[in-house]
Parts: sequence; C-alpha cells; structure tokens
Amino acid sequence: RGDPARRVGPFPEGPSAGSGRSPNPDPSAGSGRSAGALFLFLNTGKESITLDLATATGRRLLLELAEHADALIEGFPSGHLDALGLGIEALHQRNPRLIITSVTAFGQRGPYASHRWSELTAFAAGGQMSLCGNPDREPLMPAGHQGSYQAGIHAFGATLAGLLSVGVIEIGQHIDIAEMEALASTLELYLPDYTYVGREVLTRRRGNILSPTLGIFPCADGFVGIHVMSRNFPSFARVMGEEWMIADERFQSERGRLINNDEIMARIYAWAADRTRDEIYQRAGEERSTIAPVLTIPEVPEQPQMRAREAFRTIDDPRAGPLTYTGPPFRPGEGEWELRPAPRLGEHNAAVYEELLGLSAQDIVALRQAGVI
Amino acid sequence: MIERLPLLGIRILDLSKVWAGPYGTRLLADMGAEVIKVEGPGSWDMTRALHLLPPAVERPYNKAGYFMEYNRNKYGCVIDLGKPAGRELGLRLAALSDVVIENYRADVLEGLGMTYDTLRGVKPDIILVSMPSHGLSGPDAGRIGYGTHMEQLVGLTSLTGYIDGPPQKSGISYGDPMAGATAAAATIAALLYRRATGCGQHVEVAQIEALLPFVGEFFLEYGMTGRAPERRANRHRSMAPHGAYRCADDTWLALAVGSDEEFASLCGVIGQPAFADDDRFADVVSRYHHQDDLDAIISAWAADRTHRDAAAALQAAGVSAEPVLTIPELVADPHLNERGFWEDVTHLESGTWKTEAPAWRFSRTPAHTRLPAPVFGEHNRYVLRELLGLSDDEVAALEREGIVSNEPLPGQDA
Repeated sequence: RGDPARRVGPFPEGPSAGSGRSPNPDPSAGSGRSAGALFLFLNTGKESITLDLATATGRRLLLELAEHADALIEGFPSGHLDALGLGIEALHQRNPRLIITSVTAFGQRGPYASHRWSELTAFAAGGQMSLCGNPDREPLMPAGHQGSYQAGIHAFGATLAGLLSVGVIEIGQHIDIAEMEALASTLELYLPDYTYVGREVLTRRRGNILSPTLGIFPCADGFVGIHVMSRNFPSFARVMGEEWMIADERFQSERGRLINNDEIMARIYAWAADRTRDEIYQRAGEERSTIAPVLTIPEVPEQPQMRAREAFRTIDDPRAGPLTYTGPPFRPGEGEWELRPAPRLGEHNAAVYEELLGLSAQDIVALRQAGVI
Repeated sequence: MIERLPLLGIRILDLSKVWAGPYGTRLLADMGAEVIKVEGPGSWDMTRALHLLPPAVERPYNKAGYFMEYNRNKYGCVIDLGKPAGRELGLRLAALSDVVIENYRADVLEGLGMTYDTLRGVKPDIILVSMPSHGLSGPDAGRIGYGTHMEQLVGLTSLTGYIDGPPQKSGISYGDPMAGATAAAATIAALLYRRATGCGQHVEVAQIEALLPFVGEFFLEYGMTGRAPERRANRHRSMAPHGAYRCADDTWLALAVGSDEEFASLCGVIGQPAFADDDRFADVVSRYHHQDDLDAIISAWAADRTHRDAAAALQAAGVSAEPVLTIPELVADPHLNERGFWEDVTHLESGTWKTEAPAWRFSRTPAHTRLPAPVFGEHNRYVLRELLGLSDDEVAALEREGIVSNEPLPGQDA
C-alpha cells in the first residue's frame, strides 16, 4: 500500500471539488485511493519503486540498490533495519561510501529510542509546545506537521553535509537525526535565558502578546502581527500617526516602553480596530515598519509579492488535476527546480530495476508474482 | 590535531545578523567550516543587546545569551564595511573565502558595493547566499520582516490556535531558524555543485519562501476542497483522543490514539476497560465524534498524576504519549542527557554553562562546540594580521579611524 501518507486526506474530488463537503474523519475512507494532499505535496520530483523488505529477495535487492546510491534516508523505528539484516554495517559492507540518514522522533539510541510517537507527542517532547499557547490554557502544537518538517529540513542539510564528508574522510557514515533535538535547538533566547541567566520566567508560554510592541492584535477585518524592536519604534509610531511618541521620554527605551505598556497597547488596539489588514500593511510598507497581516491559506498565493515572484507553481497531477503547490524554498543561481507530480506507487519499477540492476522484463514479472515488488 | 569535519577547509564570510542567518551559519560552523562573522562598530548584531542583564553588568554585549547561543564555532571580527577602507578589507576577505552569506534587506548589499558581480570579480567561483525576508525582487522587496511575520504571512498563524480563539503565534520567531536551516542546506548544495562543476553561484533564500513548504499540504487541501483549512488546536483530522491534558502541578500530557488496539490499551491504563466496548468509542469514527467525552475522561484520569508518570504508564502499554516538556525539563531530561545533547561550554567573559550539542549527529565526524561565540572583535587580529597580512601599524591606523574596533558604538541597544 506504500507510504501511509498516500492515505491521508483530503483526496482529489474530481469534478465535485469545491463543493464544500467537510473533511472525512475516517482514515479508511481513502484506502482505495493513493493520492492524498499530504502525499502529493511531499513527493513532487521523486521516483517510486515498490520493494517488500519482508522477503529475502527484497532485502537482497535493497542491498544491490544501495551499491548504486549516494545516500539512503530512512525513518523506520530504531532497530528495524538492523533486525532485517539491513543495518548500517550491512549497508556499508555493500557500499562503504554510502551516507545513511535516519530520521526519527527520538533518535537511534537513548531511553526514548523505542517510544511510540505521533506528530503531536513528538512535538510535545521538543520544548517548542511549552512556549505556544495562553498561560491559562493548554499548550498548543502549531498547525500541520511542524515537528516533522523541522526534522526533515535538518535531515536534508545533514545529508548534503554527509555527501561532502565523503570527500574529506573517503568513507561514508551514519547520521542520526532526532526530531526532539532539532526542536530543542531552536528555542530562541528562551533557552539561554534559563541555562545561562538562570531565569525561568521566559520559559513559560505567554500567549499572543510578548511585549507592548510584539504580538498579534485584532484589526477591522482580522489580525495583524506587530514586532517592533528599538530601532523600529519611530517607523511604528509614524504608521500609527502618533509621531509625538518618538520624542516622548517615556518611550525612549525598551524598559520605558515596558513600564508604559498600557498606554502603548491601548493606542495599538484603538488604532487597529477601524483599519483593515490591507490598509495597515500598505502604510507599514511605506514606512518600512515591521507589521504584517495574519493571512489565511487562500489569501497567501494571491499576494502581489507571491505572484510577482511566482512563489507558487501549478502542477498538473494526473489524479488530482492542476493544483497550486508551493514553489522552490530557495533559488539557485542557474537552473530551475524540477516540479514533477508525485509518482504513482511503483511507477518507476521497470526503469529503476532495469537501468540500475539490469533486470529483464521477465525478472520484473517474476518479482511481481512473488510479491517482492 | 585537525578535526576532519564535513566542511573542513571551507571558509565562510558571514555578514548575517540576529537569528535567521546566524542559525544557518552556526550549522555550517558546527560542520567544520571556518565561519568569520563580520560586524560593524556601530552596526553590530542586535542580539548582543538582547541580553536582559542588570544595568550594572559591564560589557553586556559580550555576555548576551541569545548571541552566544547562535554564534558558537565562529570567529568574530569588527570592520565597518560602510567605509571605503572597510569595504576594501571586506572584499579582500571575500577573495579568501568560498562563501559569503548575508541576511540584509534586499537593497543593502548594493549600497555597500558588494554585489554578486563585485564579489565574483575578486573570487570567480564565490558562492553568495542572500537571505532577504521577502526576496530580492517583487513589490515587497524593500520591506523589513522578522521571523514572527513570516509565520503570519504564509498562513501558519491563521491555522494555529484554540478552536474558539484568535490566530495564535508559535512560541518562537519561527521563520528565522527555518530560513537558517534552509540556507545552510542551500549553501552545502552549492558547495557540492561547485565541486562537480567548478562554478559558484548566487543563491537566494527568501525567508518567506523557505517557510512556505512548512504549510505546503494546506494549499493542496484548499485546492482540493475549495474550503479554507480550519484551526484544530491540538486535535487531529481523524485520530481521537488527540490532545494535551492537564496533569498535577500544571504539567501537561500529550496523547494521540489512532488504532482500536491503542484505544483498548489506553482504556486499560486509565482503569476503564469497559470503554473499549462502549458504542461511543467503538471505532475511529465514533471516537472522533465523541472526542469531547474522551477528553473529559482522560482529563479526570490525568489530573492527579504527573505528566511523566502518566506518559510512562501509557508508553508501557504501547500508547503514543509524552510529557509536554518545558525548557528546564529538557535540560534535565534523561534521554537528552544520555545522548550527550547538553554540553558545558566555557565562554570568555560569561563563564561555563550548558548549551545544546549539534543536532546533526554524524557517526564518523561527530560535531561539537569547538569555540564559544566570539566576544566583540575577538578575532580581529587573526583576520587582519594572519589572513590579510596587515602590519601592526596598519591595524592601529584602522582602529584610530574607527574602521576596525574592539568596542561597540552605541545604537543597537536603545
């Protein structure tokens, strides 16, 4: 059945797309389909083969494929590949220069290595959740798969560094990425304020308002985010039409602004209440002020900046039809990202097994009949 | 002995400041690159001012935890690139470097006269990595944006929050470290490309575009259903129970149950085996529709246990559960400590304290903190005398003219 992400909804609806039906809470509803939104997004540009590692032939083929690979990336529970006879040593025996990257919630060793985990529980263990949410309510996980993606971006960079390391030490190696450690590496100043200064006050979640000029504030048609550091205070005062604040001695320092918190916040609430996000963002742009709207998903691709830079791309997937995908996360100096649709399950079996392993059409038939591919 | 790390022999001129760029260059420094961070006498890294130390502390700019956390393994020098003689030094350094990284606003590098074309003139295969917040082009290129703004502008904030509440910010300036990690990967990709082709390039990492993929599936969801995705708080689109539950002493348990087997195990642990046969909770669909009931049942069980005890009991029964760990708990955490995640690092002016080890864990080239973050101008001498070959008299003259400095001018710390 392939990657479980293939069965995460929603699914392409064909002609009825846009009919506004509610998401189906039944994960088994997608079992006949293989192209949920998450899978389509995560697998653009890739090829797909099937291979049953529970069979001896499947394990043999994986080792043969490893000989042709620069890197192998896996996310099985720790110890799983080893139990199949496909552990680090076995892989390096076949290809000493292979980079093997394991990406899991807790890493390959340590007391939690065998824990069961899900998106929510792995995120909870990494520290970032304790900082998100209101003090009087439960801590929150930001939407989607933020913990997995943080582990993923680190696995990406580390794997590339691994490829460079082969040139330095002339041999491959294993990279152990633990989501918990990736998350705990980005706790901003809240970590050192505890480990170094010894204060706990900043380690508690503080909701939407962190300081008089850092937070999410309601406006006429939604919300805007204000993040004003000392150097941004004059432009902020100009955007609000309160230029007098720039010279007022009560607001000259971060400390002064903190002491006069109530007055600043009262003025922000009053000013934002009868202005729209567009009006505020327009003025902020004119003054180079550090204020931005809180946008909804449908609004993001419509932003003039996104359109001007083609930050989103349309990919015409044969199952889902043309849909809007996020574009390149970075832009190299030359060339363009390859944005092919996500593959069907086993779409490249013939090409990969023939080109890399030299298998014949008869071999493919035999392997398929034996349930190996 | 020379440590054979993945980026051994690579020199990176780091003009980046605050968090996004410095987080990226920290990852590269951890991997063994020689990262030289250049600050200006007046335009120094603002995180040196976010020290939150009492007013009596001397040289607080050398003791700011935020700065030290994200600038380890780097060399630091102070050169005023805005003056002709300083720019000249910057270009001479670029000529000795493989990579230049900057996270200025789109127009600043041009103002300094250090564009890609200029840099390529002094080092033909240079890799320039630019990390503007909104991109180098487009109507928003001139805007200033912080990491908090990035999560608002890509739609993440609108999807985060309590179901009955407003959009909610994440706990950190989330756009910054994600842009930094993306830029580090992009830099290494460019180094691999140069190794294969001999060519440098100008890589652009617009911070907002680096964060878009972190919400990528939501754009497809919207395209497929025609409906804007909704805030779910800690709930899942199909699993239930799924949430954070208050335990004793205002600690919290995170719990996620998918299969019927896991649910039966949960019922056993909370001493309510009969619920496994209750019609309301018979399968994943029923549980989804009755999750308010489930939340009440689990909350009642959790209330007089600690989060660690509750999670341990559930894990032992095969249920996915973890305590929501706070920062003090992470520092004391047995798993992270057994893995050697916390290192004692001794800083020049601020003593010894714990900081996290590199999360990129390599079996044969393990990374660690080789150097604490630099105090202001700490490596001026190394850069000016050893790398650029200036004489003591020349350095003294540059110091007199304020082009090179060991002491910051005021301006970042108002």
